[in-house]
Amino acid sequence: MPQSHTLHSFDQALTNLRNTVLMMASLTERSLDNAMTGLFERDSDRCNVVIADDEEIDTLEKTVDKDGYDVLIRFQPVASDFRQVIATMKLSNNLERVGDAAVNIARRVKKLNAHPALPEAKSLEPMYAEAKAMLKDSLRAFTDGDMEIAGALKPRDKQLDRMNKDIANQLTEAMPKQTEQLRGYLNLILIARSLERVGDHATNIAEDAIFAKSAEDTRHSNPIKV
Amino acid sequence: MNTHGTVREWGDNHKFRKGKSALVSALCVLAGILVVTPLALVFIYLVIQGAESVNGNFFTQLPKPSGELGGGMANAIVGTFTLLGIASLIGVPIGVLGAVYLAEYGGPKLNWWIRFSSDILNGVPSIIWGIVIYGLMVVPMKGYSALAGGVALGCLMIPIILRTTEEVLLLVPQGYREAALALGIARWKVILQIVIKTASKGIITALLLAFARVAGETAPLLFTALGNNFWNRNLLQPISALPLQIYSFATSAFDDYHRQAWAGALVLVTLVFVLNISVRFLTRDKA
Amino acid sequence: MSSPSTTAEQLAFDAKDVCVWYGEKQVLFNINLGVRPKSITAIIGPSGCGKSTFLRCLNRMHELVPSARLEGHITLFGDDLYAPTVDPAFVRRRVGMVFQKSNPFPTMSIQDNVVAGLRLNGIRDKAFLNEQMEKSLRLAALWDEVKDDLHKPGVSLSGGQQQRLCIARAVAMQPEVLLMDEPCSALDPMATQKIEELMQEIKRNFTIVIVTHNMQQAARCSEQTAFLFMGKLIEMDSTEKIFGNPSQQQTEDYITGRFG
Repeated sequence: MPQSHTLHSFDQALTNLRNTVLMMASLTERSLDNAMTGLFERDSDRCNVVIADDEEIDTLEKTVDKDGYDVLIRFQPVASDFRQVIATMKLSNNLERVGDAAVNIARRVKKLNAHPALPEAKSLEPMYAEAKAMLKDSLRAFTDGDMEIAGALKPRDKQLDRMNKDIANQLTEAMPKQTEQLRGYLNLILIARSLERVGDHATNIAEDAIFAKSAEDTRHSNPIKV
Repeated sequence: MNTHGTVREWGDNHKFRKGKSALVSALCVLAGILVVTPLALVFIYLVIQGAESVNGNFFTQLPKPSGELGGGMANAIVGTFTLLGIASLIGVPIGVLGAVYLAEYGGPKLNWWIRFSSDILNGVPSIIWGIVIYGLMVVPMKGYSALAGGVALGCLMIPIILRTTEEVLLLVPQGYREAALALGIARWKVILQIVIKTASKGIITALLLAFARVAGETAPLLFTALGNNFWNRNLLQPISALPLQIYSFATSAFDDYHRQAWAGALVLVTLVFVLNISVRFLTRDKA
Repeated sequence: MSSPSTTAEQLAFDAKDVCVWYGEKQVLFNINLGVRPKSITAIIGPSGCGKSTFLRCLNRMHELVPSARLEGHITLFGDDLYAPTVDPAFVRRRVGMVFQKSNPFPTMSIQDNVVAGLRLNGIRDKAFLNEQMEKSLRLAALWDEVKDDLHKPGVSLSGGQQQRLCIARAVAMQPEVLLMDEPCSALDPMATQKIEELMQEIKRNFTIVIVTHNMQQAARCSEQTAFLFMGKLIEMDSTEKIFGNPSQQQTEDYITGRFG
């Protein structure tokens, strides 16, 4: 924000909104981290934390929406202020979905942890690393208005999709050999898909960041062939 | 004055402040009474002295020659209105049009000079006007005349009408002029149809005040209209007027003339009074 | 910034390099601005930015200030408004104006107010005047409210009604353009909305240029918005662009309330 508003309370409301959504972001990142660490370290306690924390993420989403409406009603923002508020509300929506993905992962990890470890679980590590990095970068694009990072996310999402497909193929091939672990493989495939979803949300966040910064709508700009 | 403490503490001075207020109010009422009393006294005295002589004869008959009883001031009353008529023919157009020029057209520099000289003229003693018109009209035309008297009164009216009308025109909000001009109406039509119409009551007030002011003038008429004791239908001949008649009767040696002078004074004051009352009436209606 | 001139249709107003001085003080600097016909163009900007002055240049009302001087060209549908042979009164008949403070003529009834412009411009045809009076009052959405009180003084109406009466008076002249100088600044929100609704109605037949302090109003009503600052045209674009994503930082700062 280049210069502060003449109306101080307007600045305060915008800062407040931003702080709430950033708190939500760090909570979401932590949940994703907890869920995946739970998988790699076979730690179901972390998974329980994820499931418990989701309530707070949901509450924060509602808070962001309410504060966003309030700003719209009270200050009737225009131009960059308006885009900032709209993008923040959309960001909270995407974060909530990432939080849901983390819960989804945590539930499956708990099921996996109830059975002997699958060596293939390790193969999800690079994909998780990329999804986590994408989420982090999209949030940085949003907070710093870094258009370069934001623009790079779309190709990275394609990359993540490919990783997901590879893992799914690899695990599907392994399934007939280990028929007693069918459920476990299925859960791993679905965890990979959740990670792929996280990448989609990160891409959405980056697009909203671009919209907030430059009013450009980059969504669906180059249709991806599946 | 108590400049310390809180508002609550100031309240302790309540009685003192109320007392002060009452004192000042009383002084205002006293001043008001002092202003009204002489007027009332003059009017009452005039009524006492003149009322019995204000009768039908007073309005219909000519003055009788000195020594004879009875007669009236019919010629002076008609003369006064004749002079006012001539005066307004000169004073009203010049005064009103000059005011229109000042309010609507003139530049700041010229306006300053016009206002300045009109204020000076306003302060010139009326007898000076009499002498000026005497020199300009009576001497060249070789005789006193109703025309000269009317011109003298007209000249007196000009600065009064000019300044009051200008004030009234300037009171017309600029928004009306702009609205009319924005409709593509020609400037002179805007002034005539919008500005002057809007200010019409005020302008009539200004004119009535000017009439009231000059109706009682005597000094300029002594040098111009001169006055006489008979009917005159020729404007180039001397004409009588109420103030003149009062002057000549009051300075004469006959009681009956004195009596009629009182009556004339009463009629004149009533005339001025009525003019002023109608002014109040018009201005009140305006609000 | 140049005005958008990509449309093939002729511009209602086309201002080229307009500079205005009041005495020694220059108040407008090289304004280039095009107004599209049958649309609403809003001019916004802080107090003293010259937006009212510019509006008044469009019907030569600025000439009422004796020291005013204009350079540049303004055309109305191709006709030079400042050609030496052009009578300002003629310009003002083509370009109507509504002012900040409603100003129905106090000596006139409602109906006389509406046709004052026509009558004082010499039109005597009673039938035509009556027809024009009703048409204008209907267009100003005032007919139903006053049709039984046409002989009452214009100033007996409420503030919002008076302003609509002034609009009726202006449109009765059948101008090509209607200039509005903060027409709602003295009105309550309901009266304001009525005027705004009326503007959408009027725009079918007239071009409207409105100066307003109320940015929400500019955003609601207009198709094009021009932002003036310190006598210069900073930016002119579609209203959506100006309030969504202005291209000039000064515009952004002004509309978002980050000004000075």
